[in-house]
Amino acid sequence: MSVESAVFTVLGIVAVAGGLATVFAADVSRMAIGLGAFLLAVAGFFVYWGATFLGVAQLFVYVGGVLVLMLFAIMLVHRTPDGSPRLETRHDVSAVAVAGGLFVMVVTALSGVVPDTVDHGLVTGTTELAEALLGPMLAHFEMAGVLLLVALVVVVVIMRGGDER
Amino acid sequence: MSLLVIAVGLFCIGLYGVLTRRDLVAILASIEVMLGSATLLLVGLAVAGRTVQGSEGMVEGVGLMVIVLAAAEAAVGLALVISVSRRFKTTRIDEIVKVRG
Repeated sequence: MSVESAVFTVLGIVAVAGGLATVFAADVSRMAIGLGAFLLAVAGFFVYWGATFLGVAQLFVYVGGVLVLMLFAIMLVHRTPDGSPRLETRHDVSAVAVAGGLFVMVVTALSGVVPDTVDHGLVTGTTELAEALLGPMLAHFEMAGVLLLVALVVVVVIMRGGDER
Repeated sequence: MSLLVIAVGLFCIGLYGVLTRRDLVAILASIEVMLGSATLLLVGLAVAGRTVQGSEGMVEGVGLMVIVLAAAEAAVGLALVISVSRRFKTTRIDEIVKVRG
């Protein structure tokens, strides 16, 4: 096994284990750790493929931003006097059927199209990214800025409402 | 393990979490797993099938847009969760059944 495929396998195992922990952990802190492992593994995949800027952005925005935001929400919402709060999960057969069926369907449909291994990386730097963002993707870039502004305003409006509404 | 199996498997794990979790914060975390796996497949496919010259920067650009979308979604979603927990004193979706027009 070459170093590249070993890195790919390790990242894949960490991502799947983190995803499973996020979905199945009964403990809030374990769920947060699982989500963190998953997001770190995805950032690792990006860096491994050569999309370094995307990996760093993933690290900053997700691990540094979204995960911490989620931890704060957990601390604000799950206040129990005794010990760590438990998360309830209602396992049922139909959910397994939906998720498993979708998995089989998509993998079967795409197995001929998607190559098994990604053996070469991107050779782009931030210059190509900047040229794309300020060239063909300029409208998307501006829309993303507007979207973030709208999200900010919406969050302020939602949080200001409080109990009286 | 191929890229396809990892990414689609993670998406379906997240979907299962959305369907079975009873807590709003846990459902949001599962949605993050779904979004992350979709980005993973998108970037992986773009890297694997790099055929169009001059489109390398676009790959990272599209991935960046997904990250921005996910950040906005998480912020609004968690604000809604906190607002719901203030009003109903719970975040279990079984107990939040009162709908007002």
